[in-house]
Amino acid sequence: MLELQALTRRFDTTTAVDGVSLTVPAGQMLGIIGRSGAGKSTLLRLVNRLVEPSAGRILAEGRDVTALHGWALRAWRRDCAMVFQQFNLVQRLDVLTNVLVGRLAHQHGLRRALVLLTGTFSAAERAMALAALDRFGLAEVALQRAETLSGGQQQRVALCRALMQAPRLILADEPIASLDPMNARAVMEALRQVNRAEGITVLVNLHHLDTAREYCDRILAMQAGRVVFDGRPEALDAARVRDVYGITEAEFAAEAAAAQQRAAVA
Amino acid sequence: MSRADVAAWRARLPAAFGSAPRTRLLRGLGAALFLLWLSWALAQFGFTPRRLWNGLEGLATILRLMVPPSPGAQWAEILQGLAESIAMAFLGTCVAALVAVPLGFLGAGNVVTAWALRFSVRRLFDGFRGIDQLIWALAYVRAVGLGPLAGVLAIATADIAVLAKLYAEAIESIEPRQVEGVTAAGGGWAERLRFGVLPQVLPVMLSQALYFFESNTRSAAILGVVGAGGIGLQISERIRVRAWDEVAFIILLMVVIVATIDWLSARLRKRLIGG
Repeated sequence: MLELQALTRRFDTTTAVDGVSLTVPAGQMLGIIGRSGAGKSTLLRLVNRLVEPSAGRILAEGRDVTALHGWALRAWRRDCAMVFQQFNLVQRLDVLTNVLVGRLAHQHGLRRALVLLTGTFSAAERAMALAALDRFGLAEVALQRAETLSGGQQQRVALCRALMQAPRLILADEPIASLDPMNARAVMEALRQVNRAEGITVLVNLHHLDTAREYCDRILAMQAGRVVFDGRPEALDAARVRDVYGITEAEFAAEAAAAQQRAAVA
Repeated sequence: MSRADVAAWRARLPAAFGSAPRTRLLRGLGAALFLLWLSWALAQFGFTPRRLWNGLEGLATILRLMVPPSPGAQWAEILQGLAESIAMAFLGTCVAALVAVPLGFLGAGNVVTAWALRFSVRRLFDGFRGIDQLIWALAYVRAVGLGPLAGVLAIATADIAVLAKLYAEAIESIEPRQVEGVTAAGGGWAERLRFGVLPQVLPVMLSQALYFFESNTRSAAILGVVGAGGIGLQISERIRVRAWDEVAFIILLMVVIVATIDWLSARLRKRLIGG
């Protein structure tokens, strides 16, 4: 169970996340929606501790993770795998090694020194990575550089990397915003499958209400850093969207499409 | 992962499990040979603990003589020498950085596709790089006479070839898609270079030039020893008469100056690159 208590993050003049309190039971698939700049990304980055909170606490299974540092922080990050909009793969490394990056926080002592020195992982881990890639139809490109892959392929590699961490939680920050509809569907299906089959909790930021409704157990809507809706997908109907955002759902979708276009160009 | 699974994957994609035993053996042999050669070479140069120990004693004596540092009687001369060194480094680097830009483009494989031209330009760089600053300084002192002009020319000549090579390499590692965008919009070769390539490489060129300025301030101290102007003459004179306390004073000043230049160039880089 993941629990956020009055989590707040202020940047110079703006408050990106403003007193968010939230309880996510284990195994839930939670979709977070909101317009650009609503604080969705910052919220996920706070959970992974890529961003430090200005106030508030994050509890995982009752343990405070806001104060962790050193090895404990690395172990926490390993347990909550992050998937990024721009994939964040190391372009010059081959696909297999990119996936094996997910095993880095599992190496200790001599093995860690060996991995750092030679960049080679154990045969079991390589086989594991290949099996993960195979699951998404990527085993054949395992030895190519990441930069040679298409966006959809890269995001699936990023998902493999996340799975290799053996996480309890996956934080997906706009995972499909830079992908075409077919690849977007494949990635969302994969997230859903991981959530169902392995019971991994998934927090996913999305632009589209439709996607969130289709795949998530629960939807959280954010506006200016605050939670403005939290409930079952079917409860977020057209009237509710107008209440929350002051625009119709069609306008919301159009805005999301425009934001996605901007992201794809960037 | 059961052992059978690992074996199955190993059979399907052997390359993913590291190089073949033969390659690994060859690599190990290569590493062993290299280590052998390294120890042999060190032994040839008398790299023995005994000599190192004796050298340390000599160094300790010099260090004792250096404390406390003192400006001596002719501190005005020292200041003038330092100012001259900085000016030489600045002028020399400026000239080199400017001349190296077109040469860098000429040496870049993705700009000059004419194989023969690029090859000859590159070999020309190699030739010039083979001659050290100090040799150039000796030559220029004979050619244009004693003084800082010889130093400026030496710095510029030696650095043009190095900077041109670095620039060429920076140009070769640009992202081609951005240039493609300019081409697709109807840009010719000049537009491609100016709007597709230059914006990508300018920050790299600038940082390299700034680093060379800092580095040249240090090496300009040596040029004075052969009469090419700057602080070097003062240093070598003081070492000759064993005035190590004054040498220490000059060294401290140099450290301060190099640190200041480093700080200034970091700020300048930030302003110009916006990173």
